Amino acid sequence: MPAVAPEVAAYLAEVRTALADLPPQARDELLEDLPEHLAEVAAEGGGSLVERLGPPAAYAAELRQTAGLGGVSAPATETTRERMAAVSVEARRRLRQADVKVGPMLGYATASDFLRLLVPAWWVLRGYLAAMLFAYLLDNSGQRLGLLPRLGGSGLVALLVLAAFVLGSIWLGRRQSRLRQWPRRGVATGTALVVLFAVVGFVNADSVTRWQGDLSPDDIAPVYENPAPPFDDIFVYDEQGRLLKNVRLFDQDGRPISVGSEFCADGSPVGTGGTPAVGPDGTLQGPRNAYPRCPGQAPYTFGGSPGPAGATPSAGPPATPTPSPPSPSPTPS
Amino acid sequence: MDATQLLKGVLDLAVLAVLRHDDGYGYDILRRLRAAGLEEVGDASVYGTLRRLFQAGYLNTYVVPSEEGPHRKYYGLNAAGREQLQRSGKTWQSFASTMDRLLDDRGVHQ
Repeated sequence: MPAVAPEVAAYLAEVRTALADLPPQARDELLEDLPEHLAEVAAEGGGSLVERLGPPAAYAAELRQTAGLGGVSAPATETTRERMAAVSVEARRRLRQADVKVGPMLGYATASDFLRLLVPAWWVLRGYLAAMLFAYLLDNSGQRLGLLPRLGGSGLVALLVLAAFVLGSIWLGRRQSRLRQWPRRGVATGTALVVLFAVVGFVNADSVTRWQGDLSPDDIAPVYENPAPPFDDIFVYDEQGRLLKNVRLFDQDGRPISVGSEFCADGSPVGTGGTPAVGPDGTLQGPRNAYPRCPGQAPYTFGGSPGPAGATPSAGPPATPTPSPPSPSPTPS
Repeated sequence: MDATQLLKGVLDLAVLAVLRHDDGYGYDILRRLRAAGLEEVGDASVYGTLRRLFQAGYLNTYVVPSEEGPHRKYYGLNAAGREQLQRSGKTWQSFASTMDRLLDDRGVHQ
């Protein structure tokens, strides 16, 4: 018998253990050719023996049945291990059926033909995720982890780490099926951790992204805050072009809308248009939401001729009355 | 009906049949069975069946050394195996036609 690969030897040993209840001679005869056969299966490539043949115990159970030795372990003496093996055989059978059924939908003979093409892509992704986990564990800059495995906030280091991990993952992936049992288990455990980290990270990133997306300026800014440029006063004209005075403004909730300072642009206190707004003690009198606060500053007079009201006296008809708006009545004083 | 249950009864015959023209090694025989449409047949079942047929004296074996891969153990039908294939084949054909008739009579067949 030629020297067998450690993987085959390990698998073989477990199958032998699962058949330990057989008479030694029957067992030896049954397993006589199995090393060569398993070596042949292993040489075909395409995954480890366990991936392709199922767990050794299940393999042993199937062997026992077909080799005509089933009587040794009748259902009454069936052990938990064998029952699990039978379940596993059944599950693999169903999986094979599904494999063949789903394949044509993807345009391949079997689904696993298609998935096998994706394996190198998975190695790359696994490398990226491992790099992120590495940066997450080692980085102590206190900053949030972005989309790159930054160490100390450095983008260059991040790219180097990323490249190293992706190459490492590909290297491992190509050698995985040739590893001994224990290193292989190590890789599997590490991969499981990386996947767990990825799921948690993904859920986190998803909720952070959604939270930031929801937060528009409308949600936090008061309704009456004019973004830019800031305004200090409000002038309301009726349809005749007349400036309305003492207009009270409220928002949809009945809150008074209050803007501006207590002084007009020319330095006079607000309220000079009529009602004295500042009391003898200097505090503001009357409602704060009455507009305009400085009627003397009205930007338009007599329906549409622009100009700072401070420069044009708000009395007297214009020299050339404009036809529209029709009634150029002087502003009452 | 579960095809694996049916398969158990006829796997011997199926293995003998795929070895009728060409000898083959274990994995090769499994591939031939699957290619022929018996997709649900398991590796251990084929190996176990080969061992049993060998024990029963229907097969001869020889090892073919190979440069790169492992040595391959080939199985082929001997005289007893060919006889067995004929016998079992006839049994199966008469059984199958009986079943066909039975299903026809009951209108199960299309």
